[in-house]
Amino acid sequence: MSGEYAIQMKGITKVYPNGTVANQNVNLDVKKGEIHALMGENGAGKSTLMKMLFGLEQPTEGQILVNGEQVHLSSPTVAISKGIGMVHQHFMLVPSLTVAENMVLGMVPTKSGALIDFKKAVEITEEYSKKFNLEVDANAKVMDIPVGMKQKVEILKALVRGAKILILDEPTAVLTSQETTELFKELKNLKTQGYTLIFISHKLNEIMEITDRMTILRGGRSMGIYETKDVTPQEISRLMVGRDVVLKVEKDKAQPGAEVLKVRDVEYVNEWGKKMLDKVSLSVRRGEILGIAGVEGNGQKELVDMLFGFNRPNRGTIEVNGSNIIGLGQREIREKHISLVPEDRMLYGIAGTASIEENLISDRAGSKKLNNGILFNMGAIHKESEQLVKDYTVLCKNAQQAVGSLSGGNIQKVVVAREFSNDPVLIIADQPTRGIDVGATEFIRKKLVELSRSGIAVLLVSADLNEVMELSDSLIIMCGGRIAAYFEDTEDLSDELMGEYMLGIRQQSPEEIRRVCHE
Amino acid sequence: MNIFTTDFFFSIIRIATPILLATLAAVVGEKGGVSNIGLEGIMMMSALFGSLTAYWTKSWFIGLLIAMLVGLLEALLMGFFAFKLKTDIILVGTAVNMIGSGGTIFLVKVITNATMDQSMTSTTSLITKALQIPSVNIPLIKDIPVLGKIISGHSILTYLAFLLVWLTIVLLYKTPLGLNIRSVGENPNAASSVGVSVAKVRYITIGIGGILAGLGGAYMSMYYAMGWSLDMVAGRGFIALAAQSMGGGEPVGSMLAALVFGFAQALGIKVSATGVDSNLVAPIPYIVTIISLVIFAINQRRKDQKRHAASALN
Amino acid sequence: MNKKNNTKFTIIRAIAAMAIALLVAFLLVFLSSEGATLGERFNASIAAMREMLISPLFKKSGKFSTKNFSDVLAGTIPIMFTGLATCIMFAANQFNLGAEGGIMLGAFVTAVVAIYVPIPGPLLMIVAVLCGALAVAVIMLIPAVLKAKLGVSEMVNSLMLNYVIMYFLNFLMNSYLADTSKGITQTYPFRENAQIPQMIENGSRLSWGFVVGIIMVILCWFFMYRTRWGYGIRMTGINQPFVMYSGMNVALIVILAQVLGGFLAGMGGGIEMLGRYNVYNWSALPGYGWTGITVAILAGNNPIYVPFAAFFMSYLTRGCTLMSTNANVPSQLISIIQAVIFIFFAAQQFLAGYRQKLVVKSAQEELAAKAAAGERSDR
Repeated sequence: MSGEYAIQMKGITKVYPNGTVANQNVNLDVKKGEIHALMGENGAGKSTLMKMLFGLEQPTEGQILVNGEQVHLSSPTVAISKGIGMVHQHFMLVPSLTVAENMVLGMVPTKSGALIDFKKAVEITEEYSKKFNLEVDANAKVMDIPVGMKQKVEILKALVRGAKILILDEPTAVLTSQETTELFKELKNLKTQGYTLIFISHKLNEIMEITDRMTILRGGRSMGIYETKDVTPQEISRLMVGRDVVLKVEKDKAQPGAEVLKVRDVEYVNEWGKKMLDKVSLSVRRGEILGIAGVEGNGQKELVDMLFGFNRPNRGTIEVNGSNIIGLGQREIREKHISLVPEDRMLYGIAGTASIEENLISDRAGSKKLNNGILFNMGAIHKESEQLVKDYTVLCKNAQQAVGSLSGGNIQKVVVAREFSNDPVLIIADQPTRGIDVGATEFIRKKLVELSRSGIAVLLVSADLNEVMELSDSLIIMCGGRIAAYFEDTEDLSDELMGEYMLGIRQQSPEEIRRVCHE
Repeated sequence: MNIFTTDFFFSIIRIATPILLATLAAVVGEKGGVSNIGLEGIMMMSALFGSLTAYWTKSWFIGLLIAMLVGLLEALLMGFFAFKLKTDIILVGTAVNMIGSGGTIFLVKVITNATMDQSMTSTTSLITKALQIPSVNIPLIKDIPVLGKIISGHSILTYLAFLLVWLTIVLLYKTPLGLNIRSVGENPNAASSVGVSVAKVRYITIGIGGILAGLGGAYMSMYYAMGWSLDMVAGRGFIALAAQSMGGGEPVGSMLAALVFGFAQALGIKVSATGVDSNLVAPIPYIVTIISLVIFAINQRRKDQKRHAASALN
Repeated sequence: MNKKNNTKFTIIRAIAAMAIALLVAFLLVFLSSEGATLGERFNASIAAMREMLISPLFKKSGKFSTKNFSDVLAGTIPIMFTGLATCIMFAANQFNLGAEGGIMLGAFVTAVVAIYVPIPGPLLMIVAVLCGALAVAVIMLIPAVLKAKLGVSEMVNSLMLNYVIMYFLNFLMNSYLADTSKGITQTYPFRENAQIPQMIENGSRLSWGFVVGIIMVILCWFFMYRTRWGYGIRMTGINQPFVMYSGMNVALIVILAQVLGGFLAGMGGGIEMLGRYNVYNWSALPGYGWTGITVAILAGNNPIYVPFAAFFMSYLTRGCTLMSTNANVPSQLISIIQAVIFIFFAAQQFLAGYRQKLVVKSAQEELAAKAAAGERSDR
């Protein structure tokens, strides 16, 4: 029996020091030589389970068997010694070191007893690179290589340490579709060489394409183990979210009004001298949602930063309701009733240990309404925050609870409650539903549509194709810092067509793109 | 009066030595992501125990070893609080500095009372010329005109300090440990994911800093000032932090910054010899620190802006 | 974790930190004790510790001593102010350690005004203290503006400033202000009407400055928790990018926190001067700034706990002083005790294992409650 399984995790429960129960009595069996999918929504407990398998966290209860032998994985070192390797979602690389140095970190070859043998390190890297057909540049610094290559370095790092069991945590999240195709080829190749792979993802098509079996987690519990060929995507989706995903947001046709945001010929060169935005022009009008689709890192972040005063364009103009906003600080931008739902909500969106109430008033703490002379009007503040908590269905004990103790979806509800409620004329929503639960996603999407129909201009930036296509009245696609395409209507757009624009295979003519300016 | 004599340049090196040792401690620490503001306190403690041990054992060498050991132990204890008990490293440093100031005077009173039946408030009467860390004249070099007088005849710790600049470079950039230190400082998760023990590397990092600061302390009480007295380190541990940041965190740059402080203080001593109140001269190194941090920051900012402007033209 | 367990944990943790500090103190006292046998030394140490812990409140006879108690209260005055100053600066995540130099400068400026400026009546007292406070507030602009505008470490700069202030004041004393008819370096006496009156005339030097301190505690609490500026300071301490993104002026908040801190430290110096002395004779940094940092950490950066923390530190300091006169243990023992308490209070993971147990217990209780509620609703 034991010969069959590479990994068995039995009755795993994990309680974090802050009281979060991440896993509850989870079982996981992974056969030798298979590609096993671990599926679940964000927060379902996938990452925690894998952290325990890699020795980064210890289970509160339960046991782990590797190749039939019970083990105590007290640290990654122990896990590595048992032949387990992990490719993390956020690369575990040291940017200022070379690829070869990263490869040998922790097992550095030396010469004359004490000094690093740099030549040997390069040799090792090239040997493994060739053996597994994963091409990397051993002498380049990691900060200078593309994302796809970084991922290969990560896989090679695990292999060079003798890993036979590889955990891949959402490996495709940062890859283009070509890179994904390439990765899958490499993973299948590894499988045929006898390696066992655990593949974490929530992208159904990927799972269906390359895995043999899957374990589905929901809310920290296991929903069972299935043969991939025996289940349909619909069944998986039901098991993952507990119901059929209905994210069809009802919306009337937009009745665009006057132009609110006017961006013309904006160029931006980042601090490393790379041109991140190239002659970007667009307009967003009252009452419409303009979506920006694209693979991440194609200028969306720079554009949003610019619209909210975090950096300045090298060329071009940006106006809101006819007046320039370049060079304004965040306060002045907010005074123009521009709201931003930030991409990184934990960094910009909230102050974690402060209360929900304190987080809800951060943009209006100085307003007349909430102050009595020099003192806060606590009554007004309580009233305001309680109203927002109620309107945005934030699930909490009360508004005095620390915002950081809420779930991701409720944290995001606090952020949007603040951003949507201060009488905005323009809302910039950057990845507004990334990584949050279905309920909160649906709520936020409906709210965005509702607000746009009430006459607010909405600029939606999202890497989630579903989201941009579902919500946008019209949309642009960004690729390499330029607008690659503009679609006046999202109704009959196909994924394939969008993919080609996103990856730079197609490009509309300047005249077609210029239509987004509505001139 | 010509102040730029060979004596003057000699004194720059003499004065810069303890700052350089502490600066190297700060350099290694920052590379490993450990900001040690307790260097000041460690130097005080090492200075005290170094001088006491030298007196008891009649050996400057054993005194020096004990000073290093005390520095190491204190640094590891700091590490325990900072890494194991997750105390803000700045607060740990503050606590060490409290002990370095008030705690050392308690210890010196208690220890001298117990061992020689009189409660002393300094050890300046204990360190004789024979217990001073020896100076060496370097053959050949000492005969070179001008230069010989400046760089020969320093304490062996001074030469060791400059040797340590080179050793620090080798350590950080040529050894596996250095690679580990830099990766832990830059991305601890990456280091731990490949089995590098982040905790161990951090302890080593802060421990190296402790030994270096210990050497600095020994230099203060067993060479520079001949005996320990209250608050004798006088902010050199803090100045070292400034020197580290002005040197861009690299050993050679930081060494140059330490020499700038040596220069400032040497100049101050020269000036006060002309009859100016020493209270006007003593703060010069501290003022230089503030001014140079400002210049460094403005420069850095201008560089960033220039780069941005230059790249915009393409 | 639920509130009950949280409070329980906080209290147990505080007691454990104090117990460890006292244990360390006992060991040091034991090492420094004299006696022929170990038993004798042990007894002597116990006696010394008793002295330290009990004499700040009681007489030898065991009766409550008003004099000793008022001594302790008088000792809280300066560290209450430096504690408040540090609270506000630390709450904004500004590690400005300049309360030490600040209290010295405040004391000096106040003293100079109290000697040389002929203002009638109690107005002089107020003007003198305000001048001291404002002087330090202005000086704190240096680390504050440099941090806010150029990102230069306020910690290093404030430490450097401490030294600069000390030497510069000593220079002024030596060159211009000292009363040369006296053997030691001190100024001429303050004007009569500059003296802050005493609350009790028993030699404790417990001046009405204590009450001013308590009023400042209350004002600071209101400022931090009931005004938009205090709110900005607290949010900046938690997450600075969030504050910037929310449209608040981070640079201004960073400057405000440090200038206010300077103001409070300077005010403390002035009040200490006029309440305790009649001449200025400080020649070295007084150490109140460092104790203030300890007070702020003990108080968790919340002004309302500052008087209690200050009382505690003053009590221990007084205890150490009394012990040194009666039991031949150097009074600087306080530095070590202070450092030990300080560091255990600041240690987040101290007793973390015990905390984790409470957390798991709370989580289990909650799960059980939820399950029970679920069953009920199913029926």
